[in-house]
Amino acid sequence: MNKVLRNPWAYALFVIPALLMYIAIYILPLLSSLQHSFTNWNGINEATFNGLDNFKKAFTDDKFWIAFKNNIIFVLFSAFVQIPLIIFISMVISGVTKNLNFYKTTVFLPSILSTAVVGTLWQFIYHPDVGLINQLLRACGLESWTHAWLGEETTAFLSILITNSWQWFGFYIVLLLAAIFSVPKELLEAAEMDGAIGFKRSWFITIPIIRPVILVIMLLAITGAMNSLDIVLIMTYGEPFGSSEVMGTYLYKQAYKFNDFGYASAISIIIFAFTVLVTVIFQWIAKRTEEVEH
Amino acid sequence: MTTLRKTIPHLFLLAYVFVILYPMFFLLNTSFKKNMQIDSDPWGLPQPFTLSNYTYSFSNSKIGIYFFNSFFISTVSTLLTIILAICIAYAITRMKYPSLSKYVYAILLLSLLIPAPSLLIPLYRMVNWLHIYNTPLALIIPYTTFGIPLTVFVIAAFLKSLPKELEEAGIIDGLSVYGLLGRIVLPLTMPTLVTVFILNYLGNWNEYVLANLFLSNDNLRTLPVAVVSFFNKYNTNYGALCASVMISIAPIILIYSILQKRIIEGVMAGSVKG
Repeated sequence: MNKVLRNPWAYALFVIPALLMYIAIYILPLLSSLQHSFTNWNGINEATFNGLDNFKKAFTDDKFWIAFKNNIIFVLFSAFVQIPLIIFISMVISGVTKNLNFYKTTVFLPSILSTAVVGTLWQFIYHPDVGLINQLLRACGLESWTHAWLGEETTAFLSILITNSWQWFGFYIVLLLAAIFSVPKELLEAAEMDGAIGFKRSWFITIPIIRPVILVIMLLAITGAMNSLDIVLIMTYGEPFGSSEVMGTYLYKQAYKFNDFGYASAISIIIFAFTVLVTVIFQWIAKRTEEVEH
Repeated sequence: MTTLRKTIPHLFLLAYVFVILYPMFFLLNTSFKKNMQIDSDPWGLPQPFTLSNYTYSFSNSKIGIYFFNSFFISTVSTLLTIILAICIAYAITRMKYPSLSKYVYAILLLSLLIPAPSLLIPLYRMVNWLHIYNTPLALIIPYTTFGIPLTVFVIAAFLKSLPKELEEAGIIDGLSVYGLLGRIVLPLTMPTLVTVFILNYLGNWNEYVLANLFLSNDNLRTLPVAVVSFFNKYNTNYGALCASVMISIAPIILIYSILQKRIIEGVMAGSVKG
């Protein structure tokens, strides 16, 4: 047994190709970003070392702070607005018996569409003249409520967050439903006999049991919020006046529009550090709340 | 009272379903209208019903080519991911190098902390350095790799649950380590592989940022990049825009309506295991 499964050549053959690609595409680029974040570099000429200048620049760059703030809003919105709503909707769906599959299928539908399609569809919905929302408001006689939703500073980023929710809610709901349906029936029946029904049963029995899955989707939603630049690039390109910028799009522009690759590398390191920080804080909170519960 | 209790959740869910489906219906409805009517009568059914938007967008863009590009790149990348991932997952869960495997697994876990935007610039340079800018490889290599970590986690979680006796029996029958993987482990892992295949495929099919950055040749474009460009190209020609978007999502909706059970079960199974 051990002889067959201790074959170093086979082990190397299985592990090395994937690991090499992984290191080439994930680890080396990150190190290269780190290296270039301390340089002045336009992407063509030789990069010259300039110490912490890029990070100092980010610190005093108002536009970068707007992007940073938007990333934080995105993360908080995911964790404290989206996730509770997702839990609520999943509970409602898990409670019905009729049309269960219909709900599941329909709710999941937007998550198979590309961000490009969803972004374009919603650009059309938010369109100031022919858009669904403004047409609806006009039909109700609420002309004054109409906005150029993606063109105004106050509404642009919020509109993106709503579109993002529309796209991904179903995906998380389906993940949660799987967890809810795997809760042992006996447990629920026992709880019912003790008088825990409806909302009470969800709150005291189901949610504590599916807590690990809730934490997983929370982490997925948070890292998703850190990763998202496609939806912003597609829907607003960070406009108007950088009000809907996230760190990812800001980096993208610094590199490909302004050719400031040194500064862009510094931003990519800030994004990485921020992601690590958020994940660590999240894990810490998850651990702490668990200890309190027991 | 009980009927009311049963009706309220349905009313709530139907409202939610409406919010999901109506935008798509609005798009579909608009795609059959003349541009005049889109402005004057946004809610009504097409009057007259016209297919001119569809003929226009078919003859004015290479939508068939974009579709094939997306199909080709997603399929190749997803298959490569799965092959590489099952090999490494098998090695680190079933072969007898526990301490080395722990390190490999830990290195892969690091990926969860690395946000994609951080890799954008170095990858762009790498693509230029390898002279694969404007070739399908510029996307296939990163897509394949981006899929590896999560795929390994899901497959490894499944492989850990398999009993040792399976392999023991195989070894008695004289199978080598490759035989064990190919003849015993692979068939058992098939359902899990379908799950990760679907998840990776969707991710690759929908990817926009790299596809936009690494391919500038119009004949190599993938669908997401094309859809975004429609919005600028058909500026005020809303009918043609809606028709183009409809054409690009029709195959996905069709596949989804056939495979929806499989896809949803796949996602659900992935979550319980992972």
